[in-house]
Amino acid sequence: MTSTDTGSTTGVRGPVTRARRSARSVLSVRSVRRVPGAVLVLAGALSPWASVVLPGGAYPDLATLHLFDAPHLVTGFRLHLVLLGLAALLPRAARPAGAGVLIIAFVHTAFLAALGAVSFGGPVALAGGALLVWQGRREPAPRWPLPGRAVVWPALAAAFAGLLWLVSATLTAGGQSRATNPHGGAEFLAFLGFAVALLGILSAYGVLAWLSALAERHRTFSVAVLLGCAMLLPLTGAGTGYWMTVASTIGVYAATAIGLNIVVGLAGLLDLGYVAFLGIGAFTAANLAHTVPFPVAALAGAVAAGLLGVVVGAPTLRVRGDYLAIVTLAFGEIFFRAAQNDLGGLTGGANSIPGIPPITLFGQAFDRPVGALPAGFLYYALTVLMVAGAMAVLANLKHSRTGRAWLAISADEDVARAMGVHTGRAKILAFLVGATLAGLAGAVFAHKLGTVGYESFDFSESVTLLAAVILGGMGTVPGAVVGASLLFVLPEKLREFSDYRLMLFGLALILIMRLRPKGLVSS
Amino acid sequence: MLEVEGLAVAYGAIEAVKDVTFTVEEGRIVCLVGTNGAGKTTTLRAVSGLLRPHRGEIRFLGRPIHHLPAHTVLALGIAHCPEGRRLFTGMTVEENLMLGAHLRRDSEIAKDMLRVYELFPVLGERQGQRAGLLSGGEQQMLAIGRAVMARPKLLMFDEPTMGLAPIMIQRILDTIALLRDQGTTVLMVEQNALAALTLADHGHVIDLGRTTLSGPGRELLADPRVRSAYLG
Amino acid sequence: MATLAQQLVNGLVLGALIGLIALGYTMVYGIVQLINFAHGEVFMAGAFGAHFAYLRLLPAGTPWYLALPVMTGAAVAVSVAVAVAMERWAYRPLRGAHKLAPLITALGVSILLQEVVRVFYPGATAPLAFPRAFAGGSLTLGPVLVLWTGVLAVVVAPLLATGLHLYVERSRLGRAMRATAQDPDTARLMGIDPDRVVLATFVIGAVLAGAGAVLYGVHYTQIDTAIGFQNGIFAFTAAVLGGIGSIRGAMLGALCIGLVKSLAGQYAWGGAQYDYVWVFVLLILVLMFRPQGFLGRPEGVRA
Repeated sequence: MTSTDTGSTTGVRGPVTRARRSARSVLSVRSVRRVPGAVLVLAGALSPWASVVLPGGAYPDLATLHLFDAPHLVTGFRLHLVLLGLAALLPRAARPAGAGVLIIAFVHTAFLAALGAVSFGGPVALAGGALLVWQGRREPAPRWPLPGRAVVWPALAAAFAGLLWLVSATLTAGGQSRATNPHGGAEFLAFLGFAVALLGILSAYGVLAWLSALAERHRTFSVAVLLGCAMLLPLTGAGTGYWMTVASTIGVYAATAIGLNIVVGLAGLLDLGYVAFLGIGAFTAANLAHTVPFPVAALAGAVAAGLLGVVVGAPTLRVRGDYLAIVTLAFGEIFFRAAQNDLGGLTGGANSIPGIPPITLFGQAFDRPVGALPAGFLYYALTVLMVAGAMAVLANLKHSRTGRAWLAISADEDVARAMGVHTGRAKILAFLVGATLAGLAGAVFAHKLGTVGYESFDFSESVTLLAAVILGGMGTVPGAVVGASLLFVLPEKLREFSDYRLMLFGLALILIMRLRPKGLVSS
Repeated sequence: MLEVEGLAVAYGAIEAVKDVTFTVEEGRIVCLVGTNGAGKTTTLRAVSGLLRPHRGEIRFLGRPIHHLPAHTVLALGIAHCPEGRRLFTGMTVEENLMLGAHLRRDSEIAKDMLRVYELFPVLGERQGQRAGLLSGGEQQMLAIGRAVMARPKLLMFDEPTMGLAPIMIQRILDTIALLRDQGTTVLMVEQNALAALTLADHGHVIDLGRTTLSGPGRELLADPRVRSAYLG
Repeated sequence: MATLAQQLVNGLVLGALIGLIALGYTMVYGIVQLINFAHGEVFMAGAFGAHFAYLRLLPAGTPWYLALPVMTGAAVAVSVAVAVAMERWAYRPLRGAHKLAPLITALGVSILLQEVVRVFYPGATAPLAFPRAFAGGSLTLGPVLVLWTGVLAVVVAPLLATGLHLYVERSRLGRAMRATAQDPDTARLMGIDPDRVVLATFVIGAVLAGAGAVLYGVHYTQIDTAIGFQNGIFAFTAAVLGGIGSIRGAMLGALCIGLVKSLAGQYAWGGAQYDYVWVFVLLILVLMFRPQGFLGRPEGVRA
């Protein structure tokens, strides 16, 4: 929202004049149309939100909804509404802010309605949000020039610090579980609405594009700062053992999804049994856990998965497209059945493999706290490194000779072959690399959970991973991480909707393919 | 009968037809000539609705048709006998002819089929055979027969003589002339400019996606520019 | 010996039922080159439609010979409605899109339908009992016991397949289907509306799946939301095995699958717990070494 200042400090003409023009248009007649919407949003935010149930009703805890403390203390989602209402006065911000208001107001109104309470602020804010979306202008985002070094580092550091805040706040939004906070799911969804609005406003002003161009140019610095920021997560509100565990679980799936992204996103080979690679890594490590140190077990898991990857990849020499998808599905099912029936006594069958010791390196067990840092921090740090490593692998492969071969294959295999690409070798390599990554993730998965059972590797997990890759954007470097974070955080946060989880995934797959086939982060 | 005006058609970023304008008058044979890749086939595909023009207009019997989907264009009376014949090779000769008459619900289909067999007796002999087993010339006859079965007002031929022996070429061209004499209007595309312009009442030269010359067939044949460019 | 004969009969019945689903796969793939993953769910939805009709529409104690036609009607209606909806709203907008898009959409449709039924159909979170026809009577052939419902399946499935074969060969719409399968552009030049042909194909597949669902239900007397996916995979395997696009091939392939599953469950290593695995192994081998199937040639719908 201060992008006008950013523009003028850089002192370059084009965007500045445009920024001035838009500053003037705040006052123009056309822009006055935004005002009623913004006023409604503010009015809604400051009105009472519930009438009957509280505070003596069935849910005394709902006092945390900040229902009756207005107008003295506007916090939580109502603070977000106030902020968005103010932001909506900026011309480009009206649409994204309105969309965020709609989400926040809808979630809380619906939640209160489900409790039998009448919300006064809700409908008002909803009307304001709708008005803003309707009246807001959709314009191409302005482009900002890339500044000199003096500005770059602080700008990037600030951006990543903001990202850290956003991640931490999203992760902790709505609290830990239903038991302590019955409306956690609603709070979380509402916060997502706020986050979406923030990102939308930044994007409408070209700030996101500017930052990503900046990060692209100063890649090493960005990666270092990003990693540093990730390691700082334990110092934020998310710094408890619980959130560390959630974050590291997400990390495991993110690393796996990156592996899948190599196979599907880069090489264009649809794999519907991918979770088997995670499984074989986990089972291998679980079987070796008591006999060898973790690095050896992890290596063994990765190698075992890599070998399976070659086996699954071998049919690609003869089978293509849709048929290949079915072959991978068949391999996945065979793996699942074998694990379910405790093939060779290696998987524990229905009993699973319990009692896998935590990773221990240099005498430090990973599930214990280190100094002031919360328990689970070491697993978190390990998965951050793993994800970073996987992203590096993906990014390097994407721009390598092999990556170009994969792209050629996914565009048109016959043409690729005619151009001299060793298609067979390239396709098997894709499976090998992807599976190895998944196997490594599986080894961490086994140690972190302490128990590995076949149920973790059924078809719906493969679908979830695929959905993560598609949602994030096939073939993009951050895509799989964004997708995996969303898809594995949501069920954690929305336990009350856990019955609908797969249904929503199915719907999401259909809608994404129809509306945004390139995913959220498109290259 | 057919008016094409300022037509432009693109495949993705490549504009194959840039500015094509011509008319086809009822009862005539009109021929589009030009080199390979000039945009002749693209023009025909746009008329029959397989491609959607991004500029220009196509009118048939005074009615704009360039926005219509392909399967509705035949019902208006335009049949398209496509390049490379495109028979349904897995089906019999008779089934191919029946598909030509797919939209018709009248009782004269059987009669028309007999007419096709009269026109091309060899098809009658082979009515139960798979179309893929016919020779090149026979396949072209079947393609023409299939198009005729729709009882079109305007019949479009795309390279009807391609890959045929000289004697067969003459036979096909004679058939086209016969169809015209029986009242069907013909729009055809040919690379073989000499044969086509000899036959045609009117010709249009398409070059790099634009109509450059038009005139009665014999006049075009005599035009030195046409002679040097297409007749060698 | 008796065991072998019994397993052959079991395999035959399963094959007949899978064959009815396989016809839908083979028809749709033949025309739009789409593996309609969700076709198994069309079958599943049909089974639940029949179950609903039995529980809610028919008075308790309706004799099976009256119930069966009503249930079949309900199953077919539900199956057709589901198939038409998915074609119209999920697949049709994707014509000409990126090649993975329809397949991923099919996956999404499959999951969505399974979950919708599981969550919203009363009691569908666990397997549901399905009424048995013929009062559970059976035919005894020497040492082999065949339920009358099995006999029904083995009789009806080939009849329906033959009917479909004749329809595709002889009817005007069947001819349009074959033309569209072989060359969609030229078919349009014949005045054939591809959207209508594709929709008709989905409808035909759904009718067969709905009929198959009732036969499946009355024979195995238990349905759950997973039957669509499992049998759908088997049916797809059958369609590929027989040569995709071929009606006779689909039935032949289904017969093979049925026999492999029941014989492997009895005789192969691992026993009944691994019978699915052998079907999947067969699937992989077929796709690798004979993707055109027994009767397949690399072109569209043929009889």
